[in-house]
Amino acid sequence: MSYQPRIIGFLCNWCSYAGADMAGTSRMSYPPNIRIIRVPCTGRLDPLFVAKAFQEGADGVLVAGCHPGDCHYAEGNYHARRRYALLHLLLEFLGIEPERIRLEWVSASEGKRFTQLVTDFTEQVARLGPCQAVGGQS
Amino acid sequence: MDLSQAIRDKARELLETGAVKCVIGYETGTDGINARPAFIYEAAEVDRLIFDETCGHNLATYLLHHRAENIAVVVKPCDSRAINLLHGEHQIERDKVYIIGVVCPGVVGRQWGVKGRQLLPACQACTDRNPVVYDYLVGEPVAEGAPAPAPPLPEVEDLERMPPEERCQFWRREFERCIRCYACRQACPGCQCTECFVERLEPEWVGIRIDAPQNWMWHTIRAFHLAGRCIECQACRRACPVDIRLDLLNHKLAWEVAQLFNFRPGMTAEALFPLATFVRDEKLGVGEWASS
Amino acid sequence: MARIGVFICHCGSNIAGTVDIPRVVAEAQKLPMVVHAEDNEYTCSEVGQRSLREAIQEHRLNRVVIGACSPRMHENTFRNTVASAGLNPYLLEMANLREHASWVHGDQREAATVKAIDLIRAAVAKVARAQPLFARQIGVTKRALVIGGGIAGIQCALDIANAGFEVVLVERTPSIGGRMAQLDKTFPTLDCSACILTPKMVEVGQHPRIRLLTYAEVKEVRGFVGNFEADILQKARHVDHDKCLGCGICWQKCPARAPSEFDMGVGQRTAIYIPFAQAVPGKPVIDREHCRYQQYLEWQRAGAEGKKPPECRICEKLCPVGAIDWEQRDEMITEEFGAIVVATGYKTFDHSVYGEYGGGRYPDVITSLQLERLMSASGPTLGEVTRPSDGQPPKTVVFISCVGSRDDSVGRPYCSKVCCMYLAKQSIMLKEHDPEVQSYIFYIDIRAGGKNYEEFVRRAQEEAGTVYIRGRVSKTYPEKGKLIVWGEDSLMGRPVQIAADLVVLATGIEPSEGAIELAQTLHISYDVHSFLVEAHPKLRPVETMTDGVFLAGTAMGPMDIPDSVAQGSAAAAKVCGLLSKDTLALEPMVANVNAVKCVGCLLCQQVCPFKAIDTETLRDGRIVVRINEGLCKGCGLCVSACRPGAMNLRGFSNEQLLAQVKALTR
Repeated sequence: MSYQPRIIGFLCNWCSYAGADMAGTSRMSYPPNIRIIRVPCTGRLDPLFVAKAFQEGADGVLVAGCHPGDCHYAEGNYHARRRYALLHLLLEFLGIEPERIRLEWVSASEGKRFTQLVTDFTEQVARLGPCQAVGGQS
Repeated sequence: MDLSQAIRDKARELLETGAVKCVIGYETGTDGINARPAFIYEAAEVDRLIFDETCGHNLATYLLHHRAENIAVVVKPCDSRAINLLHGEHQIERDKVYIIGVVCPGVVGRQWGVKGRQLLPACQACTDRNPVVYDYLVGEPVAEGAPAPAPPLPEVEDLERMPPEERCQFWRREFERCIRCYACRQACPGCQCTECFVERLEPEWVGIRIDAPQNWMWHTIRAFHLAGRCIECQACRRACPVDIRLDLLNHKLAWEVAQLFNFRPGMTAEALFPLATFVRDEKLGVGEWASS
Repeated sequence: MARIGVFICHCGSNIAGTVDIPRVVAEAQKLPMVVHAEDNEYTCSEVGQRSLREAIQEHRLNRVVIGACSPRMHENTFRNTVASAGLNPYLLEMANLREHASWVHGDQREAATVKAIDLIRAAVAKVARAQPLFARQIGVTKRALVIGGGIAGIQCALDIANAGFEVVLVERTPSIGGRMAQLDKTFPTLDCSACILTPKMVEVGQHPRIRLLTYAEVKEVRGFVGNFEADILQKARHVDHDKCLGCGICWQKCPARAPSEFDMGVGQRTAIYIPFAQAVPGKPVIDREHCRYQQYLEWQRAGAEGKKPPECRICEKLCPVGAIDWEQRDEMITEEFGAIVVATGYKTFDHSVYGEYGGGRYPDVITSLQLERLMSASGPTLGEVTRPSDGQPPKTVVFISCVGSRDDSVGRPYCSKVCCMYLAKQSIMLKEHDPEVQSYIFYIDIRAGGKNYEEFVRRAQEEAGTVYIRGRVSKTYPEKGKLIVWGEDSLMGRPVQIAADLVVLATGIEPSEGAIELAQTLHISYDVHSFLVEAHPKLRPVETMTDGVFLAGTAMGPMDIPDSVAQGSAAAAKVCGLLSKDTLALEPMVANVNAVKCVGCLLCQQVCPFKAIDTETLRDGRIVVRINEGLCKGCGLCVSACRPGAMNLRGFSNEQLLAQVKALTR
């Protein structure tokens, strides 16, 4: 079997998790590599969980939440955007290819967008191969 | 007037009048060359105080351990920004701290054997010679332009130009040396937690094992916790016994924070931390994917 | 020690058709702390739920993982099931094997099975660290606060009071009635505005369950849903309303004059006054700024230099019941409420930025609300429309629409929604007042969406002969007693010049003064134009993101009278729904603080969108934060901002998320 990247997806409960559900309900299809963790809001997710996922052996991490302006808690995704912009730059500086990390917006009705995003991202990470930046498994 | 003498005179006055209980300054260390922190409680002791290019420590850090009493502290410009940081984060009560600001000529790294090496690269590039906050100023203030962030250090730019694998090799070599003594944390005025995440079993952010992945995690979290807060006083690097280039990591984030959010920490105590606020329609290069 | 039971649902063939269920069960059994694993045809069915309950008892399970559909689908179902088996409902975790595995990887049995096993492992790791959570019950103060006594607030207060709950209605001006009271007629029925409004105002004034606080402002609100506490400033009226009979002798005899706010400056009022004849309450207030006795006292305080002003006090001398009280002071009233409705209404756009229209420079350029007062039979001219400059009846009237609406260059890109209709109304009314009047309306588009609205505009055009000119006005200047209005007829593509007697500006709607301050104390959001923001524009139009705070009327955007009334009633229905409960269950999945770890940096307080974080000083002098569970919505922004790890989120704790990450990267 070809190389199968390990991808963690942190999805906000209100938009993106529902968007992923919508992809399922609509019987859309995307690569099976992603493992989804439900969080209340992208603003809940300390960006260091993303770093931790890489340290634990993930090859790619996707964080998805409500589109700006649609946050169930009004402001969570705006805060997330700032935090992730910075984390992205830090991890890139540490040698993790920026293509391995994505923060994107997916609404509850965007099953198709979610499918495209996961397909796109999985292929992108697969092309990079296993993430070696953290220095092997402990 | 001699900087050291000016500090001594002020310290004597503060202690004699009872305005402060202690003056935190510098004295010559046991090797006779490098300065070390001095805690002066008696007016008779003030002649121990010195100020020269070996006075690298950021003494603002010690304020975290002396919160209850009135304290005077000698600060360089970058250290003065740490005071603003601590004040803004409610870690000190400003009216309990008497700030003796020093117009800074720049400091050198740790000296071995004799004095006289070059100023630290960060000090060579530094444009902030005057403290941003003080109650008493020592030295003649230098005329400065509008405070601008120092340009990225050449070494940071070199790293940015490398392919990711090389960059990650570089950091692996750095972090491999880490013995996790946490001296960097102890020296840092921004590290205020009573219990550090690294010493916690649950949630276990960093495993107890000292190996590459765990060290990577420790340094990543440390850097991110200081993102937008680090005032680049170099205290962590100076404290590191194995000379890990923490300054590059901190500088990279400080530079990016300045670029993204037009923010330099510690310039005032009131400034809003950029990760505690947002602009609705800002473009930060994330979350901008358009599906077909 | 956790004793975890794992239940894998076939969901008919929905999951079992793709995922190798026996293999998932076998793998689940190997996981740490798992003491029981089974599969069910449909776990959500009666049979499945019974099996779940029995297994909990038989195997003494204290944690449950269900691998089935999305938790958005059945989490509540299974929480109830485990609760009925005696387990805390929050000791349950669902793994989404259907929407996130079998349905999206239908053609990949192996990959879907491996994924299902991973998801189960993560759910087991998470549930092992779950804590029992309890929904705290809080009491509800069965009293509502309605802020703003316009038509929206009046309707809302009446509906709530008629449902049996106490209401305090706070109005900033001396009388309720709001903008609707200023109108002469209403479109499209041409009902007399006062005639339909004043009975409602009287009903408010006499309602046994409504306490009316006029000349009062809400200054600060604390607390949370069911348990608000508001500071209301009752401004000094210098008239004891308990004694006053509202006989009117004082305002008839008061010698001081001031421009009437109610008449938009086209008329005058006295210093002791009621804003208009039908005001509720029909008892006056003394405007300190214009009162001669107050001016006399001011002169005395300033050292009594210069000419001595008259001491006046005529009202005091004439009042038959001794109701004048010079000693009255502003007073802060603190009351408790269970729910709050904000119905603070609008003010009109300041048209002076449009220099080309001549407003403010030429007396015969007036606003539509001023014309409304001139047309009103109870207005300053007793319904006789006259030019402010010379008192002559105007024969040619030019209306300019969209003054401060649909114009980005003045920061008002939105449509004020009511102007097109009231311009049609005013042109019809002018024709009815005086058949010789010819009206011209410069417009951008005619927006007449609404029941009988389009027909009404037709009526203006066809019956009243109103000429509609599509285009903007470029300048207005006086010439020989007329106002020359230059404009562009963009349909004909030619300039137009009209010699008008009167120019009326349709000034747009913007939020009332102080709307932002009020929004801030209520912790509700407002948009770039300071209109208050509803919780959802389609589905929660009168709610806010702060539980227990509701909106009605033009405080949230331009709307006409029927919409304001509908919103007042809608908000009242929401309030009654809330106040009819004796207790409220607070969401248990909220943030909590470990005070030992908190360093008091207060970053969490800065990021909290719900202002749910307070501080407290411990005995050792340390300042730490505390969660107000009534306000916390469980978003977790504070948790991710907390460097010391003192803040955590119940149900989504750092420990749980980390365990999931580790389980999935294994």
